[in-house]
Amino acid sequence: MALCVNHTTTYTYSEPVSICHTEVRLKPRTSAAQTLLEHELVIVPAPEVLIARQDYFGNTATYFSSQEPHLKLTITAHSVVEVHASDPLQPRLTPKWEQVSEEVRRYDRAETFDALQFVFESPRVRTASEFADYARPSFPAGRPLLEGALDLCGRIYKEFKYDQRATTVSTPVDEVLRIRHGVCQDFAHLMIACLRSIGLPARYVSGYLRSGRNSVGSEASHAWVSVFCAGFGWLDLDPTNNLMPAANHVTAAWGRDYSDVSPVKGVALGGGEQAITVGVDVAPVPIRY
Amino acid sequence: MNLAGTDAREEFAAAWRYLSNPAFHDELIAANGNVRPQWHPLVDSLLEIGPEGLARRWQEGRRLVHENGITYNVYGDPQSTDRPWPLDPIPLVIGAGEWRTIEAAMRQRATLLNAILTDLYGPQHLLREGLLPSELVFRHTGFLRPCAGLSVPKGINLHIYAADLARSPDGQWWVIADRTQAPSGAGYALENRLVASRVLPDVFARAHVRGMANFFQTYRDTLRGIVPEHRENPRIVLLTPGPYNETYFEHAFLARYLGYTLVEGGDLTVRENRVYLKTLGGLLPVDLIVRRQDDSFCDPLELRGDSMLGVPGLVEAVRAGHVAVANALGTGLLESAAPAAFLPILCRHMLGEDLKMPTIATWWCGQPRPFEFVASHLDNVVIKPTFPGRNDHPIFGARLSVKERAQLLERMRASPADFVAQEQVSLSTVPVWDDGRLEPRHFVLRVYVVAAGDSYAVMPGGLTRVTTSLDSLVVSMQRGGGSKDTWVIGDGPTPEFSLLQAPAVPLEVSRATFDLPSRVADNLFWLGRNVERIEVAVRVTRAIVSRLYSESDPASAAGRDAGVRILAALGYLSTDLPAAADRTARLQDELLEMIYDSATPTSLGSNLHQVRHLAWLLRDRISADAWRILNHFDQQFSNPAPPEPLRISGALNLLDNAIMTLSAFSGLVMESMTRGHGWRFLDIGRRLERADQMVELIRHGLGLVPTDESGRLEALLEIADSFLTYRSRYLTSMQPDLVLDLLLLDEANPRSAAFQLARLREHIEHMPESRSSIHRPAEWRLAVELLTEVQLAEVAELARLDPAGRLSNLDNLLLRLAGELRRLSEAITRSYFSHALASRQLHAR
Repeated sequence: MALCVNHTTTYTYSEPVSICHTEVRLKPRTSAAQTLLEHELVIVPAPEVLIARQDYFGNTATYFSSQEPHLKLTITAHSVVEVHASDPLQPRLTPKWEQVSEEVRRYDRAETFDALQFVFESPRVRTASEFADYARPSFPAGRPLLEGALDLCGRIYKEFKYDQRATTVSTPVDEVLRIRHGVCQDFAHLMIACLRSIGLPARYVSGYLRSGRNSVGSEASHAWVSVFCAGFGWLDLDPTNNLMPAANHVTAAWGRDYSDVSPVKGVALGGGEQAITVGVDVAPVPIRY
Repeated sequence: MNLAGTDAREEFAAAWRYLSNPAFHDELIAANGNVRPQWHPLVDSLLEIGPEGLARRWQEGRRLVHENGITYNVYGDPQSTDRPWPLDPIPLVIGAGEWRTIEAAMRQRATLLNAILTDLYGPQHLLREGLLPSELVFRHTGFLRPCAGLSVPKGINLHIYAADLARSPDGQWWVIADRTQAPSGAGYALENRLVASRVLPDVFARAHVRGMANFFQTYRDTLRGIVPEHRENPRIVLLTPGPYNETYFEHAFLARYLGYTLVEGGDLTVRENRVYLKTLGGLLPVDLIVRRQDDSFCDPLELRGDSMLGVPGLVEAVRAGHVAVANALGTGLLESAAPAAFLPILCRHMLGEDLKMPTIATWWCGQPRPFEFVASHLDNVVIKPTFPGRNDHPIFGARLSVKERAQLLERMRASPADFVAQEQVSLSTVPVWDDGRLEPRHFVLRVYVVAAGDSYAVMPGGLTRVTTSLDSLVVSMQRGGGSKDTWVIGDGPTPEFSLLQAPAVPLEVSRATFDLPSRVADNLFWLGRNVERIEVAVRVTRAIVSRLYSESDPASAAGRDAGVRILAALGYLSTDLPAAADRTARLQDELLEMIYDSATPTSLGSNLHQVRHLAWLLRDRISADAWRILNHFDQQFSNPAPPEPLRISGALNLLDNAIMTLSAFSGLVMESMTRGHGWRFLDIGRRLERADQMVELIRHGLGLVPTDESGRLEALLEIADSFLTYRSRYLTSMQPDLVLDLLLLDEANPRSAAFQLARLREHIEHMPESRSSIHRPAEWRLAVELLTEVQLAEVAELARLDPAGRLSNLDNLLLRLAGELRRLSEAITRSYFSHALASRQLHAR
């Protein structure tokens, strides 16, 4: 099935911005789970410089700068992505979680060397005993990794309340654990902290979720978690919706945490007061006859 | 003199009372009690000079340190943005043979570290093959992922590198730390040399000490060679985090010495993927950034977003190959103790040879066996953090109590990878001059290495830092240690070479002065204003103090009261002085406080301190002589007040001197500055302030209701330094209209308001924004209005009284002038200094 994603970010300023430098990660990746069919990035006012590159994690990062004084900057990304359904995994067939942790620590294969960098703390995700303590009930000795991860995912879903007012874009993960409220970004960071604190590699996935009655987080860009499972690759889990992403999630970028993959970031000179609005729309592509 | 002989040895020991401590290797005295050969020329001379002679010579050395303004900033000390650089007169001497060993080892180490960086930011073979633990790289905040795969010109990551060396009791040199980010101290080493060679010129020449200028020339050549798009005259800037950085002095000094423009992040901007310097003349392309700022702070867009120190878009400009950065972005990764534990293996693997100088024994606790070893040998090690940003203070295992040791072990067991242990060595000692005798102190030698062609070149010398006492184990300028010049003995006489005298390549004649960033123009403008402001305050104060005890002479008293009104209006004195009998005593107290108590914000000393601070921000722009004058001046006002009966005469003396010093300062600054935009902004500041002050002098000195008191007019003329002119024109008769004409309207009097306004008009005519004849900027219109206003004024009209008997015409004119001058200052700020416009971070989920 193909999904069409429209993601619009608008900055409005009370005073003119004389120059802005911006970096966006809005172009969906192509992977085993999805194929990018169409992508278009429209920026108003039109930038003088626009350069796309692959970043350290293989995401497409696009840099642009606008030096025409402006009171409003609009960034619109339009993408069409074919999402491939895959056979559901049997959680009990996945390796024991301790075994994965040890293999990664040994990193004697390309696969485990690549996973290793996601086991350490990163700018937005600390590792600490309080996160390990929270994870522990889900990971008794010898439990298959995916069973444990799904259990942890479910506990976060049940024990934390989705609340857009409780946190901001920069709330630290320690506080999320304490206040037990947050949004998808917070839940993803928390789950990553828990997994890493017991020695499992986990990465942060930024992307989109198809709108639907039962899904949370589709009105803006979405975020979830990917955990490494030797022999099975990276397995996605969405703690905000308590499920394993399948046909309704579109992956834009992944990294160690939000700071590696924030969809839009920039530095502007001037501008006075600023306001941001973000609109995301994800829908199946209408079938053409 | 035969120093190996017992007589000379005893003579030296007796004269200087130097006792080396047998527990340590001493640089001067060998184990058998003899002076080591490389020290002979120095020791011979010290015997000739004697302790008293050295004391005399060293006074000169200290004066040089003070007058050259060699300073060091201590973080977290609000009292001092600048502390005098602690320098010891006795250099460290290293023999030619020994130096060759050090040199070879340093070349090898720089080559190795450069190769490691190339691998880590490229294919990462070292990590994949397990030669270097991945955790040390992946967890390090200095591993800048956006810089992976960036092409560095000529494969050079480290353009300059420094190592801290120490010598253990067996005489072996060890590396104790690597500095790969933006090593500091090379400039201080050079300053130390300038001072020490002037204090001991005779010895210096006789001992065949090797010069350091070649080293800096090599550095310059290397930097010139990595400019990306070959241009005839590349623009190279030295990027400093700013005046509050601990080694800002050095940044300004090196920028001057190397001939680069000193800039802060805010002076640079990225447009169309290229870096530009924001100057008054517009944007000028920058080809190379020599950074003294940590790499992670260099670009708030791609690197650390929580700091606005950097240049947004810089990494992308580097990626596009339009600008080069030295050292390359990302080199801070190796500035940590842990990688050193793996260098022997890496050296064999990468260079196919053994490491020539060992690193002090280092254990990274992230591996089980080293951890167990460290845990059971805590007494013999120093514990340091593996990654930057945590508590960076080293922990000396031997100094821990039982409880502290248990706590440390617990922390280490919880996260062993966070800790590195290094063997605690007893550092060797070197003599330090201490109040007439020599004392042994521990030291660490920082050696500097620069890329040169395919290899590296080592500075013959370095920065020697000594501990505060023989018990201290930490060598740190931050914590009060001292420093020394470092003499490397050559094989024969060394040819004279100075960077300033003989460039390797003859330069083309150029009329261009240093590019003027708008931030610097701003500072120059305010320096001009503040110097002028202080001069007026000093002149008014002197006029009052000299008339303080003159109750019996009404003319004198009237002059004094006019001065008091002016000072009160300018905010120096309180406005509520009682009219009663104790008035003189109160006034005297307030005046003395204003003169002597530099802690009061309204005092002359405190104002002067601000001027000195501004001048200090402009260190790379102001001549060394002008700076010396200012330093001297600042010191005059820092001395305590003389005892009671002499206070007033002492104050008069101080004020007389102050006026001379201020004139000398403005004179020198003005005379030694090229007539470019920098000079213009300084003079605009000065003229604007002088015009403004004259308006205030007349308003408050003359008063709205005229009186015929000639004392008042005389005081006014004296303050305005126009008394002689007046006398020569009008002999003794004092008339308000004549005084007004001279001080306000006479364009020939260099003190008059009209004179200042005419100069301002000229300056503004020449400024970049005024060039367009279609759209005249606001400051141009204001300058024309101001000048026209005084040119059209009639002195007879101004001196005419209104029906209420007041000088309302004059008062109206003065008020208008004051308002327009204020608007002029604002207009200039808007047109030229708007660099202060804040950048801000944008984020969206």
